[in-house]
Amino acid sequence: MQLTVDGLQVQVADGATVLDAARQAGAWVPTLCFDERQAPFGACRACMVAVDGTPKPVPACTTLCREGMVIDTNDPASRRVARTVVELVLSELPSAPAPHTELAQVAARLGVSGSRWSGAVHPVDHDLRHPYLAFQHELCISCGRCVRACDEVQGAFALTAVGRGFEANVAAGIGSGFLESSCVSCGACADTCPTDAITERLLLDGSINGGPPPEAPRLRERR
Amino acid sequence: MSRNLIELTRRHHEGAAPTALALLKTAVEDHGKITADDIRDAAAASGLPEATVYGVTTFYDDLKGPRGARHVRACSGTACFAATAGTHIERLGAGLGVGLGEVAADGSVSFGEAVCLGFCHSSPAFIDGTTVLAGPHALESLLAGRPSAAGEPDWISLLSEPVLTRTGDWSGLARALHELQPEQLLAEVEAADVRGRGGAGFPAGVKWRFTRAAPGAVKFIVANGDEGDPGSYIDKYLMERNPNLLLEGLALAGYAVGAAHGYILVRSEYPLSKPVLERAIRQAHADGWLGSDIRGSGFDFDIAVVEGAGSYVVGEETALLACLQGLRGTVSARPPFPAERGVQGMPTVVNNVETLANIPFIARRGAQAYHDLSPGSKSAGSKLVCFNERFNRPTVYEVPFGMTMRQLCEEVAGGIRDGHTVKALQIGGPLGGILPAGLLETAFDFEPLAAEGCMVGHGSIVAFDETTDMRALTVHLLEFGAHESCGKCFPCRIGLRRAHEMFSTGAPVDRQRFEELLETLELGSLCAHGSGMPAPLRSLLRHFPGELGLAG
Repeated sequence: MQLTVDGLQVQVADGATVLDAARQAGAWVPTLCFDERQAPFGACRACMVAVDGTPKPVPACTTLCREGMVIDTNDPASRRVARTVVELVLSELPSAPAPHTELAQVAARLGVSGSRWSGAVHPVDHDLRHPYLAFQHELCISCGRCVRACDEVQGAFALTAVGRGFEANVAAGIGSGFLESSCVSCGACADTCPTDAITERLLLDGSINGGPPPEAPRLRERR
Repeated sequence: MSRNLIELTRRHHEGAAPTALALLKTAVEDHGKITADDIRDAAAASGLPEATVYGVTTFYDDLKGPRGARHVRACSGTACFAATAGTHIERLGAGLGVGLGEVAADGSVSFGEAVCLGFCHSSPAFIDGTTVLAGPHALESLLAGRPSAAGEPDWISLLSEPVLTRTGDWSGLARALHELQPEQLLAEVEAADVRGRGGAGFPAGVKWRFTRAAPGAVKFIVANGDEGDPGSYIDKYLMERNPNLLLEGLALAGYAVGAAHGYILVRSEYPLSKPVLERAIRQAHADGWLGSDIRGSGFDFDIAVVEGAGSYVVGEETALLACLQGLRGTVSARPPFPAERGVQGMPTVVNNVETLANIPFIARRGAQAYHDLSPGSKSAGSKLVCFNERFNRPTVYEVPFGMTMRQLCEEVAGGIRDGHTVKALQIGGPLGGILPAGLLETAFDFEPLAAEGCMVGHGSIVAFDETTDMRALTVHLLEFGAHESCGKCFPCRIGLRRAHEMFSTGAPVDRQRFEELLETLELGSLCAHGSGMPAPLRSLLRHFPGELGLAG
């Protein structure tokens, strides 16, 4: 079907989402919970865009395209929502995300340099007992990408969302960590994590079995 | 919702396995907390992964432990707030000598909150085990160890021909099975313009049409009895006083849509609802109104009752479906809609209890008679409304649409008690706007209330009298909002916490920043919880700005 993104005509297949169309048109739409290898989740709400000039923006990742749709990825209200969302996310972390992380890069591109919000932050809680995977729970933003990677991509079901509201986080196994879970050490969770809450540890980085927190040594660079 | 997890639950459901949530509830009731072994056992029996079951244990209020031998909770709903400004909660804790969420050192008693027990007509309310106590002397008798169950006032219909308060007698289903093809019944429900009574007002006929058209060998009807709106006890009355009407509505929906199975999800804060409904279901089977080949028509329909576990957002339809299947009650983005992928991944109608209770009348009398019930309004049918303890005659009333709020408050509910006056009303639940006393001439109907930033919602009418501190009310609403956020979408998960922090610290609130937050909640949230919370907050900003402690 034919539609318009920021004034540009694009052709998309049936079942394509607004985010697919925007990306095909070369438009940038901020996302935090989206991973193209996984089913859209619609949690972060950073990807809001305007369609057909209506005042209420829609999430690009979970909205299906319609013939003739007119999409505006630079809609001011949508961008205000995206900036506020990112600012809120930064406010729940006890420290700023590392510059190479997807969260830091989205924040920078939206021009959000910090957060005006004070208040509760996630408590520092590290699971460093697994030989290949480290979990720094305070950096978790509950985007669900690791849980979905473990479910949809790997089928190991070692991870789950836990808690609710502001206390939401992710846990491995029955809350006891990766080592006692059904984790198969595939690394799909670390690969998709946008904040380095879950990172892969090098076999020989000297921090195995209760060593110091990893300085995020990486097996490969993220795109 | 994870397709893999839904498939796992479907396969185990075929083997009649219990859900993980049901097993976890049993564990808490049995020994006061959930152990690692309970989680492993629940995983093995339900067929879900251990981590998934662990995630469930951390979601629901009812699964939080540890509990004492006696578990006592104070109602934290809005009607109880309007009655005591929240002091009954502190007094219960002080009386028990136990902190909120804690157990006495000897394990004899634990103290918690319940988010609305549906005894809003007799606030404040408490629940001791499964016994609900309510009224001005409830706390004393509870602390004296003499808990006696509170009574409930009868409901009253203002209609010459009651619809929702008329005892269900299966005559609508009898007529439909003999005189109407499923397609004709569906057309009648569409023509009746039945708008959903749960809050959103979505046309029931549209959901039915989609579900009927959706491909699927098996289809389901789900009654949403998770009446979590603080201040509401309408569905409680329907389920406990008129269970047959709901069962008949479910069966009619099944007939129209082509579904043979129904579910009712009731909230655990209403401990009487599930047993009453199950008794009515057994009787209906015995009388031939449920089961196979109902009254020789060839139509099969059965109904199961599932109890929730303490979560407001489970009233949202996708979260409700997750809870029904024993999973975490978080919201899923739509599409897919339940009409395409609901219970077990199959086409499913989710309707509020009161919505379904309207259907027998339509089946019996037709769409035109249904429209005629509210002659002074564009809206069809009647509506149940309920009033809080601040009124002289609080109970559930069946009313036509279109009466003014003043008529309802003064003529129907008898005005405010003890010489107090109305300061404001919250209508339709915690996501409904707040109407100041100066706007009581507004009609109780969808459009006029919307014009004032309010809504019909689920029909509760909670009055705040002149002694109410509007900043304290704001904190109360935001505490509810933040506590009940399912944690899925970012605006609601973080935003409601930040909004609560802005007001609860006592510091002046930066109005501009608060309004930025409201915009993001409204435009960005995944479901009505986050996008609806701004409505009462905007009303408070509009009508009571001087009382909120704003800066800028």
